Amino acid sequence: MPASHRVARSRDIDHLPSKNSIEVCGALDWSVRPTGSKLFAMIARPALAPPISFRDELGHTVRLVDPRGGPVVVALASMPLAHDAAAVAGELRAELRGLGATLIVGDPGGYWRMRPDDAVDVLDQAVDDRFAQFGLGSRGQPAPWLAVLVIDAAGAIRFRHVERDRRDASPVAIVLDALRASGRALRAGRAAPLLPITRRELIIGSMVTAFGVALASACRPTPAPQAPPGKPRDAGMLEVTLRVNGRPRSLTVEPRVTLLDALRERLALTGTKKGCDHGQCGACTVMVDGRATLSCLTLAVMHDGAQITTIEGLATGDALHPMQAAFLAHDAYQCGYCTPGQIISAVALVADRRATSDDEVREQMSGNLCRCGAYPNIVAAVQSVRGQSRKD
Amino acid sequence: MRPIRFTRAADEAAAIAAAAGPGAAFLGGGTTLLDLLKLDVIRSDELVDVRALPLARIEPIAGGGLRIGALARNTDVAYAPAVREAWPLLSHAILAGASPQIRNMATVGGNLNQRTRCMYFRDVATPCNKREPGTGCAALDGEHRNLAILGVSDKCIASHPSDMNVALAALDAVVHVHGPAGTRTIPIERFHREPGDHPEIDTALERGELVTAIELPRSAFARHAHYLKVRDRASYSFALVSVAAALELDGTTIRAARIALGGVGTRPWRAHAAEAVLAGKALDPAVFQAAADTALEGARPRKHNAFKVELAKRSIVRALATAGGVA
Repeated sequence: MPASHRVARSRDIDHLPSKNSIEVCGALDWSVRPTGSKLFAMIARPALAPPISFRDELGHTVRLVDPRGGPVVVALASMPLAHDAAAVAGELRAELRGLGATLIVGDPGGYWRMRPDDAVDVLDQAVDDRFAQFGLGSRGQPAPWLAVLVIDAAGAIRFRHVERDRRDASPVAIVLDALRASGRALRAGRAAPLLPITRRELIIGSMVTAFGVALASACRPTPAPQAPPGKPRDAGMLEVTLRVNGRPRSLTVEPRVTLLDALRERLALTGTKKGCDHGQCGACTVMVDGRATLSCLTLAVMHDGAQITTIEGLATGDALHPMQAAFLAHDAYQCGYCTPGQIISAVALVADRRATSDDEVREQMSGNLCRCGAYPNIVAAVQSVRGQSRKD
Repeated sequence: MRPIRFTRAADEAAAIAAAAGPGAAFLGGGTTLLDLLKLDVIRSDELVDVRALPLARIEPIAGGGLRIGALARNTDVAYAPAVREAWPLLSHAILAGASPQIRNMATVGGNLNQRTRCMYFRDVATPCNKREPGTGCAALDGEHRNLAILGVSDKCIASHPSDMNVALAALDAVVHVHGPAGTRTIPIERFHREPGDHPEIDTALERGELVTAIELPRSAFARHAHYLKVRDRASYSFALVSVAAALELDGTTIRAARIALGGVGTRPWRAHAAEAVLAGKALDPAVFQAAADTALEGARPRKHNAFKVELAKRSIVRALATAGGVA
C-alpha cells in the first residue's frame, strides 16, 4: 500500500467520533458471553483504543487499528511472553488466521507483532506504562499480570480480559484461549461482528465510513436469545467426535464445515493445507480410516467416530515417519505447500501396495499436484520407502 | 457455501422420505456435490447422508452376473477380484478416472449422477441452460474444445464426464432405484439423457429416487476388452475422447463387439451401429476403420472441438486393435 494511503487513513482514524458517540449505544446488550469461556468477558460499553502507534522494522507505522479491517488483539504482560509464544506459534497463527486478526504483544522486552502468515515483527516502542495506556492499573492499583484486548476495525475495544493474580496458567495459553473465545463467539454469531463490514468494503471505503457502519451495526437490535444450555445452541449445529491422530476431538459445527476447515480452523492442525478447495490439487489429503481422502470435499459431520490421520500424526515424538525422512533426504519439495498432502498420499501408496514401478508411483500420486515440479524427487522418496517396506 | 441442514438416514425408507423436498439431495461420497455446493451451482439446503445404508456390497447374482451396491466406493469396485476377473473394462475405466483420493471417496451411485465439467455450467456468472433453464448456452459460441459432438442440441453441448459410466454402457448395466413410488430398474442406456430441450434433466431419476445398486449381466467380453482414454495430461484429467471396446472372438473372427465412447457425447455414448459393422467380420484394421467411421456419423462438432471427430475415430481403431490383440 502506498505510504500516502497510510497517512490518509491514520488521519481519518484520529478524527473518529469521540468516545461519547459510542456511549450513545450504551443500551446495547454486550453481556452475551462467549461460549463457555470464564476467561473472557465482552465489555459492556466499547471504549476506543488509545491512539498508540509504533514503527516496525521496515519503518512503517503500525497502529492499533488494522488498515486491512481485521481485528487487532493486544496482549499486555508483566512477564516475557516471546519464548512461550514461539513454542505455540503454529496454534497462535491458526487462531489469528481464523479471526483474520493481528496480535500485538507488549511485554517487558518491548512490543512485537505476529500476523498469521508473516514473520514476527519487533516494534520500536518499549514502554513501561503499557497497562496505564489502556487505562489498566492506573488508579493506585498494581498493574495486572496479563491483559488481553480485542480491538475491532473501528478502533473500539470489544473484548477485554484482565488477569491480576492467577499465575497457575501459562500466559500464552491464556492469550490462546482468549483468541479462541473470540473466534467461537464470532462463529456462533452471538457477538456483534468484529469485522463490521467486509474487508473489501473496508479497503474501498474510508475508516470514517467504516466507523459509521460499525456504529450502525452495533446499534441494531440484539439477536434473539439462544436456546437453553444442553440443546444445540443454533438450529442445525451438530456434535461430531473426530479421532484425530489418536485423540478424540469433539466439536460442535455447522454441517457445512468441511473436514479441512474443522482441522485447520477449529483444531489448529494447519499442517493440512487448503489449496484449490475443490478436489483438484490434493494439498488437503488426510487419511480417513486408513484411506487417502480429500478433506476439502467432505464434511466434518460425515466423520463422527472416524480415525483421521494428518501430517501432524505421522511422527513419533521427534522421530520422523520414514516417509517424512525420505522427503527430507531426497529434497522432495521446494516451497513445501503440497508436501503434507504428498506425504499422506505416499504413506497410503506404500500401505496399499498398488504401485511398484516409477510409472505406477506417478499414477498413484497423480492426485497431488506440485507447482514447483518436485515430481522426480517425490518419486525417488516414495520409491526409497516402498523398497524398504517390501523387505519388511 | 450456503447453510445446509444435514440428516443421517438410517434406512432406505427414511432416506427417501427425507429427500422428498425440492431442496434435498442425497449425500454419498460428496466429491461432486460439495464441489458444486461451494460453487453455488447446486443450491441444495438439505443433505441426506445415505452412507450408513447397507448398500456397499459387491456380490454375484444368479446367471453369472454381479450386483454392485450404490455405496461401493470406486476404489473397491475397481480392485474387486470379481470385477477384475470378469468385467476388466469396468475396472480399467474406473482407474482411468479421477485420482486415488477421489476414487476412495466417490460412490457408484454418485458417479452415475456425476454432473458435467462444462466450465459454463460451473461458473454462475455465465448463462447455462443446464444450470438455469432458459438462460442460454455460453458454450455454443464460447470455449467448447472439451465439449460434446454427439447427442448435442442447440440448448446444450455439455459432455458427460464419467469414465465408469462409459464402461457400464458397454457392459449393458442395469440401474436399480428405490423411490417414493417403490423400486424399479433402468437400463443404463435409458438412465442418462440427451439434453434436447431440457438439458437441466441429466437422468431418468425422479425426485426422491435413490440409486441402490447396479447389476452387470454375465459378460463374454472379459478376455478382449480395452479402455482407452485420451486426455491433455497423462493422468488426473477428464477425457477428450475415451473408448470402451470389447470383443467376443471366434479365432480371428469377431462374433460380437461392444463400443462405448466418453468425452464426446452428452451422455455415455454406446455405438450400436458401429458394433453391427464389426459383427461377423475378421480382426482387420479396415474393419475397425469402417466401424469408427460409422460411430461418428452423427457427429455435430463446432469450431473448437472438430478435432474430436478424427481423434475419436483413431481412438476407436486403436482400442479395437488393442482389445483384439492385434495392435
